[in-house]
Amino acid sequence: MNTKNKKGFTYFGLVALVLGSVFLSQGVGGGRYHLSQSLSLFFPSRLSPSEKVILFDIRLPRIILSFLVGGSLSLGGGALQGIFQNPLVDPYVLGISSGAALGAVIAILSGVYLGFFTIPLFAFSMALFSAFLVFYLGKIGKKFPLEVLLLAGIGVGFFFSALVSLGMFLAGEDLHQLFFWTMGGLWNSSWREVKMILPFLIVGAPTLFSFSRELNAFLLGEKVAESLGVEVEKVKKWLLFVVSLLVASSVAVSGVIGFVGLVVPHLVRLLGVRDHRHLLPFSFLLGGGVLLWADTLARTILNPVELPVGIITNLLGAPFFIYLLRKRKKSL
Amino acid sequence: MKEYLQVENLSFSYRERKVLDKLTFNVEKGELVGIVGPNGAGKSTLLYLLAGLLTPEKGKIALGDKDTRFLSRRMWSQKVAMVFQEIPQNLELTSQEVIAMGRFPHLGRWQREREIDEEKAAWAMEITSTTAFFDRLFSELSGGEKQRVMIARALAQEPELLLLDEPTSHLDILHQLEIMDILLELRKGGMAIISVFHDLNLVSQFCDKALLLKEGRTLSFGGVEEVMKVEEVEKLFGVEFLETTHPFSLRPFFMPLQKIKNQSSRGIVHLICGGGSGSPLMRELLEAGFSLSLGVVNQLDSDEELARKLGIPVVQEKPFSPFSPSTMEEAYRLAQKADYIVIAPTYWGRGNIANLDLAERLALEGKAVLVLEEALNPEFDYTEGEAREKLRKIIKEGGKVVKDFSTYFSSLSP
Repeated sequence: MNTKNKKGFTYFGLVALVLGSVFLSQGVGGGRYHLSQSLSLFFPSRLSPSEKVILFDIRLPRIILSFLVGGSLSLGGGALQGIFQNPLVDPYVLGISSGAALGAVIAILSGVYLGFFTIPLFAFSMALFSAFLVFYLGKIGKKFPLEVLLLAGIGVGFFFSALVSLGMFLAGEDLHQLFFWTMGGLWNSSWREVKMILPFLIVGAPTLFSFSRELNAFLLGEKVAESLGVEVEKVKKWLLFVVSLLVASSVAVSGVIGFVGLVVPHLVRLLGVRDHRHLLPFSFLLGGGVLLWADTLARTILNPVELPVGIITNLLGAPFFIYLLRKRKKSL
Repeated sequence: MKEYLQVENLSFSYRERKVLDKLTFNVEKGELVGIVGPNGAGKSTLLYLLAGLLTPEKGKIALGDKDTRFLSRRMWSQKVAMVFQEIPQNLELTSQEVIAMGRFPHLGRWQREREIDEEKAAWAMEITSTTAFFDRLFSELSGGEKQRVMIARALAQEPELLLLDEPTSHLDILHQLEIMDILLELRKGGMAIISVFHDLNLVSQFCDKALLLKEGRTLSFGGVEEVMKVEEVEKLFGVEFLETTHPFSLRPFFMPLQKIKNQSSRGIVHLICGGGSGSPLMRELLEAGFSLSLGVVNQLDSDEELARKLGIPVVQEKPFSPFSPSTMEEAYRLAQKADYIVIAPTYWGRGNIANLDLAERLALEGKAVLVLEEALNPEFDYTEGEAREKLRKIIKEGGKVVKDFSTYFSSLSP
């Protein structure tokens, strides 16, 4: 099989896997709608009104949201690992997670209510704020040296995390809500969240895909990339901006879900895909699929209790990551 | 016709430190220019400026009559490609994928690779002989193969000017020559090539022109034969060189001898030798920091040839002739300036025995005469004992027999 066919086959396999996963996962979970009825997805008129609600207003939006969030995080992670030329970078490296958490803390503690979207809105704004703060702190002259950006991200992240901890300490009975938020979960999913995140993805994903060749050139080092005609600083700025939007919107609707964005691009590399033109779309599809499964597991494993999906991704992701590290020490 | 690359008064500073100072030179298409200079001379900085990776502080770079200030990054990369000194490690891409990256400046954001892109990549692979391992991972290639892939990557850019930063520095001699072959081939095709080399002799053998760079300034620039002279390269590196002619290319060939030290810091030694007996001593004494003079020796004697190449004052006699009184007088005047007279283990015959009279005369005048122990070997005497007799007399007049210099001179100095 030549390389082109192999890539085509992988695309086909991933899309089939995702569709299959959607189909399977919509059939499992609490409520009176079961896998045996799954085919009703295609014949909704056969369903009772309550089954319709379970399927179309609860499960489907949640499945789709988990796919989109997983896809965004993995796509963002893959792009950032490319920019930073560092395999240990995850989508939260610019302090987005702790910024978002701080936003949620502020929203919950201040009691400000701006409608249903209050918490996501605060989380999103603070996430972007922290990303820009990191940009600002990481800028030297007209350039963004990568190691300075990384360290600025760590610094800002720690500072905001401390504020989040302080908020949680002071939160009293709201602690529960905050605690769940920082672990990441998709239990509040509805079509509204899907609508909130979708525009960012529709604009962001193709933009990131269009930078694939630049990201490939980064593999040879920044200087070589520049000599090839890549406007390095401009590309960095654009990519970091788009990734920030994508990740901030994801965090805003789902809380901080760890490890997906870090591990999935590595999984794709493990398949032998290094070319970002394929690495990014593969990461998106696989990341979506992985989070979809993790969330399905999270909502069914201790039925009727739901686990925060972040626990599942960390529980499965961390050992897998260590396995990768041990196995591929050389290239990591 | 005007030159392709024109550099005028180019200056550059890193913060306060001046790295390049008013460089001016031109390069034509089809020319291979070698840049040499000591570490920190600004060689890499110059290449970075020519590649547009740094912005000149002052001065002008023009490519094909176009001032580069108005070139976009992309346009610049269509004209100039650079091969960097560092080779990326752990690059898990096939060599073909790496080489195809060279097409970047010719492709639009949403454009797919066209047929011409594949053709150009194939050409780059062919000329660098990298076609054979197109599907092997870059990280698994040998050093020479990696370097060739990096060159192919640059060639896929279809540059008019190719810049290389020490392309041979990590390679063994065979792979160095492979790289030079590639450059010569490209030069024939009309590409302008500028390369930094750490090896002077690669420049003198293969390049058309040389740019000698020292402390950010042009020491000299021009055709290799005019520029690569022993005085120039000695000034460049602060090292004494021996210049010979390369037997194949007939270009100058330089052998490093030693660091240039302060002259006559430890005194002058006049060496009496011949037939090669002085050659190892010259090196030893020069390295120990002495200045030398020599004589009398016959022309074409290997000691005489070496001394001349080293720039040591020599008193010579015509080939295969006994030493005439006037030559001996000349040698006497030269030797008088010396602090020590050293007699090397030389074969003594009727032709050169006059040298021992010279030594005896100087010993009588109180000059320190050192006789190497080996010189007393009776087998060296082809004068039926006359030479040995003279040597004995010299020793009686105060000449010292020494085993080797290092022990003798270290016993002198406090």
